[in-house]
Amino acid sequence: MNFATLIAVLALAVILFLAVRYIYREKKKGTTCIGCPYAGSCQKYKEGITCQTDISGSKAE
Amino acid sequence: MRIAFAGNPNSGKTTMYNALTGRSEKVGNWGGVTVGSKEYQLKKEFAGNQEVIAVDLPGAYSMSPFTPEEGITSEYVRTANPDAIVNIVDATNLSRSLFFTTQLLELGIPVVVALNKSDINEKEGTEIDIEKLSAKLNCPVFKTISVNDKNNGLKEMISKAISLAGTIQKPPYLQADINLHDKDAVDAEDRKRYAFVNEIVKDVEKRKVLSAETNKQDKIDAVLLNPVAGILVFAVVMWFVFWVSQAWLGPLVADWLVGYIEAFQGWVAGQLESSPAILSALLADGIVGGVGAVVGFLPLVMVMYFLIALLEDCGYMARVSAVMDPIFKRVGLSGKSVIPVVIGTGCGIPAIMACRTIRDERERRTTSMLTTFIPCGAKIPVIALFAGAFFAGASWVSTLSYFFGLVLIFLGALLIKGITGYKYRKSFFIMELPKWKVPSLKFAFKSMMERARAYIIKAATIILVCNTLVQIMQTFDWHFNVVEEGAESTSILASIATPFAVLLIPLGFGVWQLAAAAITGFIAKENVVGTLAVVYGLTAFIDVDELEMVGGANTVAVTMGLTSVTALAYLFFNLYTPPCFAAIGAMNSEMKSKGWLWGAIGLQLGTGYTVAFLIYQIGTLVTEGHLGQGFLPGLIAEALMVLAVIMIGRKVRAHFDEQYELHKNIKGTEGAAA
Repeated sequence: MNFATLIAVLALAVILFLAVRYIYREKKKGTTCIGCPYAGSCQKYKEGITCQTDISGSKAE
Repeated sequence: MRIAFAGNPNSGKTTMYNALTGRSEKVGNWGGVTVGSKEYQLKKEFAGNQEVIAVDLPGAYSMSPFTPEEGITSEYVRTANPDAIVNIVDATNLSRSLFFTTQLLELGIPVVVALNKSDINEKEGTEIDIEKLSAKLNCPVFKTISVNDKNNGLKEMISKAISLAGTIQKPPYLQADINLHDKDAVDAEDRKRYAFVNEIVKDVEKRKVLSAETNKQDKIDAVLLNPVAGILVFAVVMWFVFWVSQAWLGPLVADWLVGYIEAFQGWVAGQLESSPAILSALLADGIVGGVGAVVGFLPLVMVMYFLIALLEDCGYMARVSAVMDPIFKRVGLSGKSVIPVVIGTGCGIPAIMACRTIRDERERRTTSMLTTFIPCGAKIPVIALFAGAFFAGASWVSTLSYFFGLVLIFLGALLIKGITGYKYRKSFFIMELPKWKVPSLKFAFKSMMERARAYIIKAATIILVCNTLVQIMQTFDWHFNVVEEGAESTSILASIATPFAVLLIPLGFGVWQLAAAAITGFIAKENVVGTLAVVYGLTAFIDVDELEMVGGANTVAVTMGLTSVTALAYLFFNLYTPPCFAAIGAMNSEMKSKGWLWGAIGLQLGTGYTVAFLIYQIGTLVTEGHLGQGFLPGLIAEALMVLAVIMIGRKVRAHFDEQYELHKNIKGTEGAAA
């Protein structure tokens, strides 16, 4: 394995790891729409409830 | 400690909330932008060392909710017992705002009134005697200008609110002990309250410009709210937005950006020349190429968001709602349906959430079902790619995509109206028209940058992972052997996409590459572009020099092997079939009915399929003199869809009739009429 290949494999692994970790963390927080500029403003977002939360505050079916 | 921010729609609550918390929640120069409550800690410069949570509530005109989002505000201030309430009052419209203020003052919770937009009053020469107003309301009143960074009155106002926490508010007006179920008694009580408010306003306010006088703003509105001229102006304005963003400035910047992306891709591929081919394919083609293809369209998206933000901020979009109301009503929707449609140009999810401002359940569900027919920002790269590759970058493709989306909303609404057996009823559209103002470039820039950030995050996460998976599935067969050149149809991707491709033959694009791109589009619509870049090995989707070639016979068009007709059919198929899964999730939450949700998905699939089928078959007939491939199977599929619509309609209406049958449970009524 040459140096360029080694770097490429590492870069690929890091990029994919970071991307998957970000998606996983966001999903765990309850974000259904990653990247959505409104994700942070959804009701009770901090408590892990998604933007698809019922207006009364309870999780919609 | 919790401080609730409550006030009338479009009084500037969210702007103030953003200034106090450092958040960047969506704001707009019209009522109904905020549809749910939001909380965040106040900045230290306002709260000191205390932990103070600000709660931004949707706008409400009174404590008696008229729409679901008004209900959130009324419910919160009644039951959540905030330590203080900051009542944001639109200083330019005092008489309307104080009705709600007097109701808030009756709750016993300390209230601080923020006379927001005081800068506009100063410009118009309107004077409000703060001390007198404070004495009449029994609560502190502050002049605030939330859009200013300095001397905005916010610090003093918040300090006062914090210091009042725990005290009991004495109301200046107490509602009489009336039967709240008695409409006449409630009306009479409301009139008394209005009289009380008007007395206060008469005492404290001096106006130079009387609202009864016709001013320049009214003259502009007379044109823009005219049913004919208003719609024509709207069409011209939107055409201009699409032309600038997708045919002129957007591609110009994108071309420059793509140059760098391509150079980087070439450099990565060059470094990996002696590495295994799969590695080069994954890194150079899959990640750099695929993600780069999506990011390359970023300038188009940014320019469009910037222009839409300017239109929102100056107050034009509220006028569009008003002028569209009569048309929307005719098809069984509400004028408020325009708001989700406009928001939908950015993203389908907040657009679906914005449907909460519609009071009628059927109108609300119908709007959330149809609003995603308006292409969202994620679909801009798809539109731009096909417009550029097949139509020489013509701006009419974008304009047509949006206006055709509007037509589909009208037709869809008519169809739903027919299915649900909707009967005409009077519905009201009440929307306050904000004052015209010079749009803030800072606001538009901020809004654009937020969208750009979101777009990049999506590209660097979801799109990146999807493109990597697509690249892997394209490189290997099911035995994990590398697919050799010329045998691409044996790849995992091809074998998954081929059954779907068969269904697309009547639409003119029954090849596995295009089917695979359409499928990945359900994860995120930008994926259509990313997947096409990977499966066709293309990245240079934007090239201004190439776009100038009349006829659009550029590399992309040649590689994809589509005619202009099939390209348009494929584009519209991707635009009008169901949105991404996240938006479908939002529809599920807003509709609160599985029947409506599945109906929505069925309607969107059927619409996308039918539109593509008609474009391909009619287009081929016109351009080549014969029908396209798979006409008969396509026609059978269409007939089955029509049959399904008829059957669903009958089922729904049968249930409808049962519901309203008055004498079904009374024995011996059969034949009584005879």
